[in-house]
Amino acid sequence: MTSPTTESPPPRHRRPAPYRPLPSAHSTIVWPALPAPEAAAKLAVLQQLDQSQWWTPAQQFSQQLRQAGTLLQHAYAKLPFYRDRLAEAGFLPGKALTPEVWSRIPILTRADLQQAGAALYAADIPQGHGATYEISSSGSTGRPVKAKGSKVVQFIWDVLTLREHMWHRRDFAGSLAAIRSVPNNAADYPKGGAGQVWGRAMQGVFGTGPSYVLSIASRTEEQIEWLQRVQPDYLLIYPSALRELLVQCRDRGITIPRLREVRTVSELLSESTRNLCREVWGLGIVDLYSTQENGYLAFQCPDHEHYHAQSEAILLEVLDETGAPCRPGEIGQVVATPLLNFAMPMIRYAVGDLAEVGAACPCGRGLPVLKRILGRTRDMLVYPDGRKAWALMGDMYYTEIPAVRQFQIVQHAVDDLELKIVADRPLTSEEEAQLRGWMHNRCGHAFPIRITYHDDIPRSAGGKFQDFRCDIPEAAMPAPSGG
Amino acid sequence: MSARAGYQAFTTQDRTLLWPALPGPWPALLAAMLDQLEASQWWSPEELLGQQLHQAAALLAHAHRHVPFYRERLTRAGLRPGAALTPEAWGRIPVLTRAELQQAGTALRSEVVPGQHGRSHEISSSGSTGQVVTVMGTRLTQLFWDALTLREHLWHGRDFRLRLAAIRPYAAGAADYPGGAVGRTWGRATQQLFANGPSFSLNISTSAAQQAEWLQRVRPDYLLTYPSALRDLLLHCRAAGITIPRLREVRTLSETLPPETRSLCREVWGLRITDGYSSQENGLLALQCPEAEHYHIQSEAVMLEVLNEAGEACRPGEIGQVAVTSLHNFAMPLIRYALGDMAEVGAPCPCGRGLPVLKRVLGRVRNRLSYPDGRHGWPMMGDIFHAGVEGIRQYQIIQHGVADIELKLAVDHALTGEEEDKLRDWLHLRSGHAFPVRFSYAAEIPRGPGGKFETFKSLIA
Repeated sequence: MTSPTTESPPPRHRRPAPYRPLPSAHSTIVWPALPAPEAAAKLAVLQQLDQSQWWTPAQQFSQQLRQAGTLLQHAYAKLPFYRDRLAEAGFLPGKALTPEVWSRIPILTRADLQQAGAALYAADIPQGHGATYEISSSGSTGRPVKAKGSKVVQFIWDVLTLREHMWHRRDFAGSLAAIRSVPNNAADYPKGGAGQVWGRAMQGVFGTGPSYVLSIASRTEEQIEWLQRVQPDYLLIYPSALRELLVQCRDRGITIPRLREVRTVSELLSESTRNLCREVWGLGIVDLYSTQENGYLAFQCPDHEHYHAQSEAILLEVLDETGAPCRPGEIGQVVATPLLNFAMPMIRYAVGDLAEVGAACPCGRGLPVLKRILGRTRDMLVYPDGRKAWALMGDMYYTEIPAVRQFQIVQHAVDDLELKIVADRPLTSEEEAQLRGWMHNRCGHAFPIRITYHDDIPRSAGGKFQDFRCDIPEAAMPAPSGG
Repeated sequence: MSARAGYQAFTTQDRTLLWPALPGPWPALLAAMLDQLEASQWWSPEELLGQQLHQAAALLAHAHRHVPFYRERLTRAGLRPGAALTPEAWGRIPVLTRAELQQAGTALRSEVVPGQHGRSHEISSSGSTGQVVTVMGTRLTQLFWDALTLREHLWHGRDFRLRLAAIRPYAAGAADYPGGAVGRTWGRATQQLFANGPSFSLNISTSAAQQAEWLQRVRPDYLLTYPSALRDLLLHCRAAGITIPRLREVRTLSETLPPETRSLCREVWGLRITDGYSSQENGLLALQCPEAEHYHIQSEAVMLEVLNEAGEACRPGEIGQVAVTSLHNFAMPLIRYALGDMAEVGAPCPCGRGLPVLKRVLGRVRNRLSYPDGRHGWPMMGDIFHAGVEGIRQYQIIQHGVADIELKLAVDHALTGEEEDKLRDWLHLRSGHAFPVRFSYAAEIPRGPGGKFETFKSLIA
């Protein structure tokens, strides 16, 4: 038995949770409430998460390996794709999974995943996992990755959603507004969409206030007008849209009086946007790190601005170039294994992001810390000598040219950077020079820069927006020097 | 969701979902229940009562609609279904006596049980008098029983992976000496949610010597038994110098636990006793506080009132009769049922739990000593074994009249007149009155129906 026992050290820094009555699913059973089976199952898992978050990383890892063992067993039996991979790593079905075997399993790249396609779908999954469904991740490059999930995958997503709400001690009686990608024009301006509760995760578990949703495809002015109408307590939005919203609110002196917290999801959140939000609305941002294929990867700590890996659902590793785990302060690629997805096992999947490992969190949670998430590896800036670096441009608005509304940098070739701008007016040549200087300064290299003007810079298919995009075709990439 | 004493992993219903574990539907409900109990135990008594009245209102509405017996009773008490239930209105509902319960029989059964309460089943309670009372329970009442069983384990910080021994009544042949019975888990309540250690059972109709021998063999960490059997066992172990090496806690239930037995257990084994107050008809009523030797009423499952002779609620320090309402029994509602026990109300507990306190449970009305002047008392006789007479194996005090007490003894040798005098003096000292005492002798004094042993019983009607 490897599970932590009564000898575990007592958890620290706990604050009592606010009391939130559980709704009863039955009219004759008022108190204590008897929830519906699905809600009871969510609560039963939530209760376990409430404990496991305080375990040491080693305790968590040993439980992860137990669960990963059953996933590998399944992948080995059902998916020829994995059989050789796992066998070569030394995995023996029926044997306990060791950290050594785990570390020898080859990384599954995004290209592997796209190429393998249906070869990663399990023909049948254990009955308890429920029906399967397709998740399509548009991806910022527009090349979709097709993934599959199951009822259990949805279930754990819901449970983690609840955990995130509870970590951040939200008032469920409040209202929630989301500005995000919504398919089929279901939440277009001006009407948007509305729900009586916050969402599926909360159903049957907690009573909540209403929710409102607006398509991210709406214009910033429209978003502001809509927010002033629905007056939410909480706002969920993409970082890029939030930044535009904040800039405009600042310029027009607009506040959203009831708003108490902003949550961001889906794109990279920069430090400067956090600062801007504090400056304009006096509010902190709570960021979530997720991908469509893998679900939630990490949540912002309730007490700090870094992230805790969601170890109960995902075995998340940050690996250096040699494939060794990064230590605190080091940056490496994020490799995720969703432990409960038996419909499409993604074992040691390099999601394509870089992250910096953080030191143990003073909050007392043993869930591993990501200090920051640096975004897509494929969108790194490429230097003429073949070197790649994360393009940490920061916020254009710090260049103090208020006329600039939106920008995007696209690298077409090692000697061709395009700075796309949406501005109230054409910039003066002085201002253009100022922008070039800012970029050269941020990159540490005097790239040739073209400035182009646009009415709008559209989002990608999934509604995501990137400040920096690398469009250099793989074939045209310069060979890294010394490599 | 607050901290529990130590983490114990939930069991999973699916072998491929090990962590976090995914419990099955009923176990998940059990977990949801536990989670709520975890919070509600800290509420104030007023908040608890408010919630109880909500649930009681649903029960009354159901009883009014589906149990003719209650329709009449509630209407006479001026209760209208659907109206908000106040403490005053509740207090007007007549107490249901055990005699009424026996007389009404199946008339108390509901014509309809809401589907979500699950299947109904019969529970027969033999009672000390031998009169069988049959009540109905449901899957839901079982769920509450299980939830409270788990709460009791968690309160007392037990490790479910250790060994549990139970000495209780079992059907002949099921757990006889010397083999007893072995189970892979602790039982229904725990095995639903937690990985369990083994359990061992032995029929309570065995001698103390046999029990001691068996315990030395099975080496349990926890022992569950009846107070009377425990006392016999402790005396035997003291005399024979027997210790049970791994044993860390003794739990008692089903009979009144005399304070002397707590002291005796500390003396002989150096262990504390954790006592529970339950009845077969209503399940767990009050559980011993984790931090004190009194009991917390299980308000989430039962409305437990202690009423004085005028039918008013007793205050701390007062003794009255216990009336219970199982708040979730819709198969056979027992509303303000006086099950025949007396208890003393306690002051609020320093542990911080708002669950009301019973200072002590005094036992059945039929275990009440009557004095010639009309006074009543619960003779805390303590141990006759402290009276200075050797060779007493068993004893029982039977009150036939206010001036007629029989002291029944099972002895190793015939007692001398001097020894009888010593016992008479002891009885006079403990009862505070010079009752006439007659002696009778038996080879063995059998347990009553249900395996309960009464040290004192009154036959005064």
